[in-house]
Amino acid sequence: MNIARLILTLPLAAALLSAQGLDPAKLLQPPTDTWPTYNGDYTGRRFSPLTQINKDNVKQMTLAWVWRMNLGPGAGGGTSVKATPLEVNGILYFAVPDHAFAVDARTGRELWHYKWETHGGIHIGDRGFGMYRDWLYFETPDNYLICLNAKDGTERWHVEIADVKQEYFSTPAPVVIRNHIIVGTGGDSLDVPGFLESRDPETGALQWRWNTTPRKGEPGAETWPNEDAMSHGGGMTWMPGTYDPDLNLYYLGTGNPNPVMAGQGREGADLWTCSIVALNPDTGKMAWYFQSSPHDTHDWDAVQTPVLIDGTIDGKPRKLLAQASRNGYFFVLDRTNGKAIVSKPYGPINWSKGVDAKGQPIGDPAKYPHTDGTLVMPASGGTTNWPPPSFSPQTGLFYVSTSDSYSMFFLTDTDKKPEGYGGRDAGVFSRAGLTAIDYQNGNIRWKHNFPGVGGGVYGVLSTAGGLVFTGDPMDNFIALDAKTGDPIWHSHLTGSVANGPESFELDGEQYIVVGAGDSLYAFKMAK
Amino acid sequence: MPLRKGPFVFIVASAALIAFAQTPPPPPGQRPAQQGRGGGGRNFLISRDVPDPAAVERGQRLFVANCGFCHGSNANGGGEGGPDLIRSALALDDEKGNKIGPVIHNGRGKMPPFPQMTQAQIEDIAAFLRAKQQAAINRNAYTIQNVNTGNAAEGKVYFEAHCANCHSPAGDLAGIAGKFTPEILLNRIVYPGGRGGRGRGGASASRVHSTVTVTANGHSYSGTLEYEDDFHVSLQAPTGEYLTFTRGPGVRVEVEDPLAGHEKLIPTYTDAELHNVLAYLETLK
Repeated sequence: MNIARLILTLPLAAALLSAQGLDPAKLLQPPTDTWPTYNGDYTGRRFSPLTQINKDNVKQMTLAWVWRMNLGPGAGGGTSVKATPLEVNGILYFAVPDHAFAVDARTGRELWHYKWETHGGIHIGDRGFGMYRDWLYFETPDNYLICLNAKDGTERWHVEIADVKQEYFSTPAPVVIRNHIIVGTGGDSLDVPGFLESRDPETGALQWRWNTTPRKGEPGAETWPNEDAMSHGGGMTWMPGTYDPDLNLYYLGTGNPNPVMAGQGREGADLWTCSIVALNPDTGKMAWYFQSSPHDTHDWDAVQTPVLIDGTIDGKPRKLLAQASRNGYFFVLDRTNGKAIVSKPYGPINWSKGVDAKGQPIGDPAKYPHTDGTLVMPASGGTTNWPPPSFSPQTGLFYVSTSDSYSMFFLTDTDKKPEGYGGRDAGVFSRAGLTAIDYQNGNIRWKHNFPGVGGGVYGVLSTAGGLVFTGDPMDNFIALDAKTGDPIWHSHLTGSVANGPESFELDGEQYIVVGAGDSLYAFKMAK
Repeated sequence: MPLRKGPFVFIVASAALIAFAQTPPPPPGQRPAQQGRGGGGRNFLISRDVPDPAAVERGQRLFVANCGFCHGSNANGGGEGGPDLIRSALALDDEKGNKIGPVIHNGRGKMPPFPQMTQAQIEDIAAFLRAKQQAAINRNAYTIQNVNTGNAAEGKVYFEAHCANCHSPAGDLAGIAGKFTPEILLNRIVYPGGRGGRGRGGASASRVHSTVTVTANGHSYSGTLEYEDDFHVSLQAPTGEYLTFTRGPGVRVEVEDPLAGHEKLIPTYTDAELHNVLAYLETLK
């Protein structure tokens, strides 16, 4: 009797003691009561197995609460929630540039607010936190990795990962793999080289660094004309990646090369920019790469989520990786070796002459930016952009927010060694939609274009309830039928959907949480 | 729920009056707010202090005279072997000469020392370098070069075949070249209305309004399209009345987009055709 009691109470006591902490086992499970990473789990699918809210009852879904950002006196307005909050033990954790918050997931009540005194840097967005047991990690526009206590938001330590004076600014959410805090950085203004690092969760000390462009004499150097070009070659690590624990590989999409639009000083493929790479998270060693946009000149980074799919190709089970890339191509790779299975446009494009033997697109030099203007599809913003897509194993469809768009691209710097962007562009047309792609062949199963012209791209969530959630150009948060693309439910919010929506269950109730403008909104079924 | 998908009626005739008469699209280089690059207020690209223009000018004279031979008069390494100082880690790290000053005074590698340079002069050179760095960083201010490179005669032929149904050089396009800069006119040939990839889909001051007809309960309502999404449509009737309809069974929505003709043409344009049409329109001063 006593023994039975002991066995029952021990786990309970442990749970209470670490009430704020993240059980590492949660990182390896599909997200149900917990949303422990930027993408909900390591796969990047953003698929919720929850079914309480489904396509038959979603019209009865109602607002649970709204949280509105208050950054305090002196803070500028216009900051939107681009992070996907972590949800751990009923608390949401998220960040915007220089600020971090904890909010009660049941009530929307703010529990703490951490403020970082910035040293500068471009403030465009923050993807939020990674979590290791009781500790939270986020990055700032001035490139500090900050470790907070989840319990009260107090700072444990901060370390600098890049120099803001060199025009780096950081946006990604750190990814936690065992005792590795994987951090990236950004900065495309003045031709700095990109890198990815692993940091120690206790101290922030460097464990390894992987450079997105080779150093002199390293493999890949042959794809650059000279050392100067590759040491100023860009390739930013703007976004969190995905992870396969069985293969022990971390998958990351890298940013575009610099100078961004003027390619004449960096003739060649410019590895490993605009690439999907597989890295060993213990060593930072690259296992393979696939280049989504060799020698990009259109600002089309390849940082869109590399989504891990355990699927079937030609009747055989395969370990796959799918990316709907900013350049308009949908790629499906064998994630054990990086070999392409599908390379197919998922929106209108006019810049490619097809794909090479490895399935990598071949850019048409006629569509590089020229001084008098080049009409290119998609626009510089891409067919999609950083807002996360979703894959539903239930439908076998990859859902991505799309913008069928054009830009006029102008080369402005004709120097043999251009600097910065070296060009500019003007978006002239876009049509926003949600596109559902069959992962087995890249065919478009359905595409829902939103009414009217214009609009951007928005994060996506799919659920086992047969629903896809995303935003539209008119500030609606929308639920569509995952099989057909028919819009079923919507709520007009006070800003456009700014992050990837998420879902979790607390006390037997399923929540859908989305960031729009400067607010977070939570929905659940009416009781 | 059955939704809109009412037939789009391509009227192009009325487009003639408005298509070229709107305010210009946002300047190149801006990104949609969705990607977070926009935002109001100060230039989001420049996060360090902008140097005093007078100091920049003094610094430029000093730099060209003393440093330009090796570093290039633009400081980008275009001279006789001196490094680029725009992307130089040391020059970027510098604040008011604290990093470049010792190098100027003491020399470095092949660089000779300039011991006579005063602190004030060093600060002026630092201001000049910061200005050059910020000019490279501030892509929204890059100067677009000549875009009027086409053949006007060929452009006239294209215009008469593809554009003259709706547009007239003596009518809506009279004097068009005087209303827009060539690069904005080039964008507007592709798609006027300022609601492209940079903008939002909604009604904005710069957009060309569509007209809409909603048929519901056996009645028909027509007017200017004010709002449209998958669930609702709103219009302003000629009487001034504002009406919103919920889409659903028995509600038929027909949108007439005056720019549909442009949208249809976009995928067909070659860059040469666009530049030829621009060259032709540039003759319509």
